[in-house]
Amino acid sequence: MYLPLAAADPASTDIWAVANSPFLWFCALGVFAVIFVQTFLYSRAAKAAAPHVDMPLREVKEAFRAGAVASIGPSLSVVLVAIALLALFGTPAVLVRIGLIGSAATETASANLAAQSMGSMLGGDSYTQQVFAVAFMAMSLSGGMWMLCTLLLTPVLKRGSKSLAKRNPAAMALIPTAALLGAFSMLTIAEIPKSNIHMMLVLISAASMAFFLFLAKVLGAKWLKEWALGFAILIAITAGYFMHTA
Amino acid sequence: MSTQTLTSADASMARFDKQTTRYGSITMTLGLIFSLLGPIYLVFFSGLEITPTMIGVAFAAVAATFGVFWIVEPLTYFPILGSAAMYQAFMIGNISNKLLPAAIVAQSSINAKPGTRRGDLASVMAICGAATVHLTSLLIFVGLLGSWLVSIVPIEVIEVARIYILPSLMGAVLVQAIVAMKQLRPTIVAITLSLLMYFVVIPLVPSLALFGTALVVLFSIVLSWIVRDRKAVHTTEEA
Repeated sequence: MYLPLAAADPASTDIWAVANSPFLWFCALGVFAVIFVQTFLYSRAAKAAAPHVDMPLREVKEAFRAGAVASIGPSLSVVLVAIALLALFGTPAVLVRIGLIGSAATETASANLAAQSMGSMLGGDSYTQQVFAVAFMAMSLSGGMWMLCTLLLTPVLKRGSKSLAKRNPAAMALIPTAALLGAFSMLTIAEIPKSNIHMMLVLISAASMAFFLFLAKVLGAKWLKEWALGFAILIAITAGYFMHTA
Repeated sequence: MSTQTLTSADASMARFDKQTTRYGSITMTLGLIFSLLGPIYLVFFSGLEITPTMIGVAFAAVAATFGVFWIVEPLTYFPILGSAAMYQAFMIGNISNKLLPAAIVAQSSINAKPGTRRGDLASVMAICGAATVHLTSLLIFVGLLGSWLVSIVPIEVIEVARIYILPSLMGAVLVQAIVAMKQLRPTIVAITLSLLMYFVVIPLVPSLALFGTALVVLFSIVLSWIVRDRKAVHTTEEA
């Protein structure tokens, strides 16, 4: 199936001519469809199991809704960053690589490394269709390795955690909490030294969250607990806008 | 009666595990194939004159930087996510900045502890909810309206979002995690270890930077276990 695109030209810098081709759209929508199917199968399995572990269906729905609401802020921020990268990668590649599987930071860095390996850089005069295709391939292969490792490691780790759960249930109760706190402390502290604005924003965002959670508790407003993350991001990023442009 | 409930709970969780492992690994493999088909088509079948060497060199450059994370990240997130959610998280992406916060909120909203059966089901459902919102907003705002939005959103706004989104998000997520977990000792352990890692260990041994988060997670687990409140654990087990 050798189907040269009418607009394909290795030396052209018109990235969108190849990056938005119908077949790439088809593959991107394929990934979306797979995730929708997975979401459907998973929620069906969870609904079937819940009543047997003292979890009424009301709580299953509640968990779905809470997750949905809490992800609005983070999702919209991913959308904003994704839009910024459309010019570099075209819509299908941005949807799959930035929006899904990876994240903006890793994927842009991967693409840049790949472009440099060809003596080019993202967005420059030397950023041709050929460089784009190689960068897209390199970041997709790298993302593929993440998924491959997950597919291979998860069954092994599952056996390990099962045997630990039998021998030491108290440790199994502590591990997720300690791991989560460890990961988020490290990710947060890594942001602080980047610049004064970064440090201020970490503090503003943390203080806003503390304020909203306190308010939610005082008022007994459960909805505020779920919206708190979105509000905190909005407040911090607005502050960031004023500090950055000031 | 109580033994019967226990067995039925065990059996249905075992079924849930089996189903999610099967669905999860099949859908993830399909996702992997779809994500590679696009670039393969572009590289080999569209006349862009790309040689296998170009791909090899580019992939090696990326692998040299990120190869460690392919293995370390699944290891780091497994204790938090559990096996079912692993197959969701590594396909949906944006794990620490979107999926985990959603799971924390959902667990605290139905008062379920992480690592328990209710906690596991709550985080799987939360990720389903987050995936639904995320896929929909990506399709509408990037897929359909993206090229129009890029022309009307001021460039500074996009610039600010790109540079400052992580600090704006992480401070809030950390506070949320601390409040939801209500575990004083692991909180102190985690923050102390992170500060030590970032300001003492990494400056001394820069090559450890790649493993920083994974090491903090590992030592947070070990140290929190050593300094755990033995009385509190004992009472919960009895209750």
